[in-house]
Parts: sequence; structure tokens; C-alpha cells
Amino acid sequence: MSEEVRAEMVANVWKVVVGVGDSVAAGDALVILDSMKMEIPVISEEGGTVASIAVNEGDVVQDGDLIAVVDS
Amino acid sequence: MSLSTIDRTDSRTPVSRLSRFFDPDTLSLFASADGSGVVAGQGLVDGNEVVAFATDPTVQGGAMGRDGCARIVHAIESAVRMSCPVIGIWHSGGARLQEGVASLDGVGRVFAATVRASGRVPQISLVLGAAAGGAAYGPALTDLVITGPDAKVFVTGPDVVRSVTGEECTADSLGGPEVHSTRSGVVHLACDTDDAAFDRTRAITALLADQGSIGHVAERELGDLLPENPRRAYDVRPLVAGLLDDEVVELHPKWARNIVTALGRLGGRTVGVVANNPLRRGGCLDALSAEKASRFVRMCDSFGIPLVVLVDVPGYLPGVGQEWEGVVRRGAKLLYAFSECTVPRVTVVTRKAYGGAYIAMNARCLGATAVYAWPTAQLAVMGAEAAVGILHRRQLAEVPAQRRPDVMAELAEEHVRTVGGIDRAVELGVVDAVVTPATTRGAVAAALADAVAAARVDKNVHGNIPL
Repeated sequence: MSEEVRAEMVANVWKVVVGVGDSVAAGDALVILDSMKMEIPVISEEGGTVASIAVNEGDVVQDGDLIAVVDS
Repeated sequence: MSLSTIDRTDSRTPVSRLSRFFDPDTLSLFASADGSGVVAGQGLVDGNEVVAFATDPTVQGGAMGRDGCARIVHAIESAVRMSCPVIGIWHSGGARLQEGVASLDGVGRVFAATVRASGRVPQISLVLGAAAGGAAYGPALTDLVITGPDAKVFVTGPDVVRSVTGEECTADSLGGPEVHSTRSGVVHLACDTDDAAFDRTRAITALLADQGSIGHVAERELGDLLPENPRRAYDVRPLVAGLLDDEVVELHPKWARNIVTALGRLGGRTVGVVANNPLRRGGCLDALSAEKASRFVRMCDSFGIPLVVLVDVPGYLPGVGQEWEGVVRRGAKLLYAFSECTVPRVTVVTRKAYGGAYIAMNARCLGATAVYAWPTAQLAVMGAEAAVGILHRRQLAEVPAQRRPDVMAELAEEHVRTVGGIDRAVELGVVDAVVTPATTRGAVAAALADAVAAARVDKNVHGNIPL
């Protein structure tokens, strides 16, 4: 099973906090977005291994854009 | 009739499902099971009297005819007479084709009875199989919809969709629990097993039927549940759990997640909690979250359930998408819902309450029973830096770029001094008191208890239209 983690709002990608191959637990932050003058973590819903990251720091993401894929 | 004569080998029969729902050996049927496809009766849930009915998937796939529908209407009307909750266990392919328009007439009478009872007694639907066509709107008109893993709720089934429009779909993609708990908002709670679905339905029924009264409330240090960095978003659900006694039943947990709606108890009394969730969309209000909260607020108001509103909201989510989705029309529902509320409702601003969203989250001006703020809370039209960016646009433009952040910070500080921080909000009376996180449970409980004592909590003030 792989989980596609998507942006829930328009935002700037402030930090990418995991790398491909990292293992993450449910609730762990994958990237941190900057929007509404806040730092908003994008979390993995399920635990697993980060298979790919679709954004770079500084990118602008739209609501629904792919952020990362996590294999569980 | 004697229950021992009924075939209990098929776990899908109404009697077997009703027995499973009620406390052991408390089911008493209104009439014996027959060919009508519906069985109804009364029994106890955690000792509380409750009416329930179930459609029978072993008779014509649970299809609803005139007689079965009359049974449902009778069950609903009995619950209203008894002033107790009524639970519908749904598993039905819709109206009986063989009966023609007579079955449609019967189904329509179920809808009308549900609406007549709306806001008068809690109505909960437990969907364990197909609930198609008329059987979809039956649950949809009730206060809460809970599903088991095999639920399929849709107006038009996949075969008809395919033959009429050519669209490829499955029963699951049309109306499975996943769809309705994440996309449509039809389902309040999707459970992984039938056991869990029965358990949750019983827990919610007990919360609504036996609301209790506020007793002793132990304080808890809730401040640790927020991050130190005031800019950092966090999950508000542990804070909701910290505020409530023990069990929290979150409704719509996977839909419009930027607002949390939950039932639980505070000091033993049933309360409803509405909380912005900064982890999702920064906690902004938007079209769907406003609508979700509105319906929850109106449900609680209907049944005399006091509300606690936890506020940490940066504003309404801006953008074309939101305006087109009707953030004006749907956002207005939340203003309406809070303004019309007659139950005690206490607001706690934990971190920030900005702009129009400040008002919508049960501000004093909408009639809040009490408004408390944590010591570091900010109530404002917008954040100080954003405000000075507008108020001092020209002055800031003349400052060299490298000095701009410093000037900005100075101006922001001055702005807070002039328009006033939390002290000014207390002076104005829009905040009653500053409370620490560690004394919040007691303060909220005391305010609710006083309000309940001062004026009987009104019930049946309005229906609960499925907004």
C-alpha cells in the first residue's frame, strides 16, 4: 500500500524534513508549509517509508498537489 | 411474542440486529416480524429507554413497502411520545417496485415523520448494508449517520448510472463509507467493523439520552498541548480530549478536518465541542468547515447540549476556490447557528482569533455565555504585522529593505499598544476573563453550570435540518 500525501491548501514549501528512504510513523511531519503566516506540518497519515518527495523548498503548492508518497 | 421462536441464525435479521443493539434481554417488539420488511421495538441502552427499528435485508432485499414504512413512522412517533431517541438500522435497496407508487407514498411518509420529529428527539441511523434511493434519504434526514464496513449509501445505483449516463462506477465509489466519510459528509462516523458501529451508536445514544449534570471537575495542565512556537500549527484533538472527561466521540473526523466537532462529557455532563484544528488548513474557517460546525451546533442546541468552543483561527481561508464554493453563503450558516443558540455556550480563545472568523467562533457579540482567553491569546482584525503592513504601507516602502523587518516589528509593537491586547478585550467586555490553561476546565464547567442553573436548558427549540 502506498499513501499519496497531498497539500490541503495553497502554500509555500518552507522546509522538507524527510528524505527518500526515511521511515516515518503515523503523524510525522514530511514537509512544513508556510501559509496564513503559520508553519503548517504536512503529516503522514500512516507509518511507512518515504518513497518519493514531489516538492522542493521554496515551491508553491496548490490545494490537492502531491507532496510525497509513503509506502507502508 | 416470544423471542425464542425467532430464527437467530441469520445475523442480518432485524431481531438479531436489534437484540445486538440493546442492552441484553431488554428488547420488546412493537409487533412480530412479518412480511413488511421492518421490525421495530423498544429496549434499553446503558439503562436508557430507546426506540429502534430495522429494515429486513432477508425480505426482498430490505425493500420498503407501504406496511414497512408505516412501521417506521409508528416507531418515530412512539419515540416522540416517549421523549426518547430513535435509532434506525438500515439495510435496504429502496422502494418496493412491485408496490409502485404506494411504496413511494410510504417512503415519503417516513421522511415527513422524520422531519416532524427533528430536533424533538435524537434520531440516529446505523447503516449496515445498502441504503439506496429512499433508504438513502431516510438516514440522511436524521441527526447522525454511522456506518459499518458494508454500507453503501446512494440515490442511484451503479447499474442504473452506467446504463443512463455511461459513467463507470462501483457501489463503493458511489457511496461506500470511505466516500461518505471523506468527501460528501453524509456519514458522521465510518466504522471498520459492525461491532464497532454498534458500539459507537450505543455510546452516542447514551450521550444524548442521559446527559447528566455537571459535577466535580479536576483541573489538568492543558498548556503543554500547544507548541511553544506561536507560529507552529498543531493537532487540536489532544486538547479537545484534555478538556473532556474521558471518552471523546469525534463526528466527521475525516471530513472538513480544519474544524473538530465532538461529543463527550465535562464533569459528567454531555457537552459538544467545536474547535479549530490548525494542523488542517491552518485551522482556517472555510465553506465546508463552517457548514459542518453549523449543523453540529444546531443539533446540540436542539437537544439542550451545552457547547464549548475552542478558538485558534487565523481567519477565513482566502481564494477563488473558497468564494466559488460559497464561503459567503455557507459561512453565514455558522453565524446563524451560533446567534440562534439557546444552550449555554462558552468560548475559550487559546491562541488567536482574527477577523470575521473571530466573530463566527461564538464571540461575545453572537451571544456567548462566557468568553475566556488564555494569557497569550490575540484577538484582532488581523495579526499585528499584517495590520501595520496595511496601515503604514507608504512609510514602510520608504524604509531601506534591510531595515524593514526591524521597523515592521517596532510598528507592530506600537500597534498592539494602541489598539490594545488582551487587557483591552477584557475592558471592552468581549472577553470576560483571562484564564490559564491549567484552570480552564474548572472555569468552563463553572460557567456552564451557572448558565444551566440560571435558565433551564431549552429543548426542542428548532428542527435540525441536515445543512
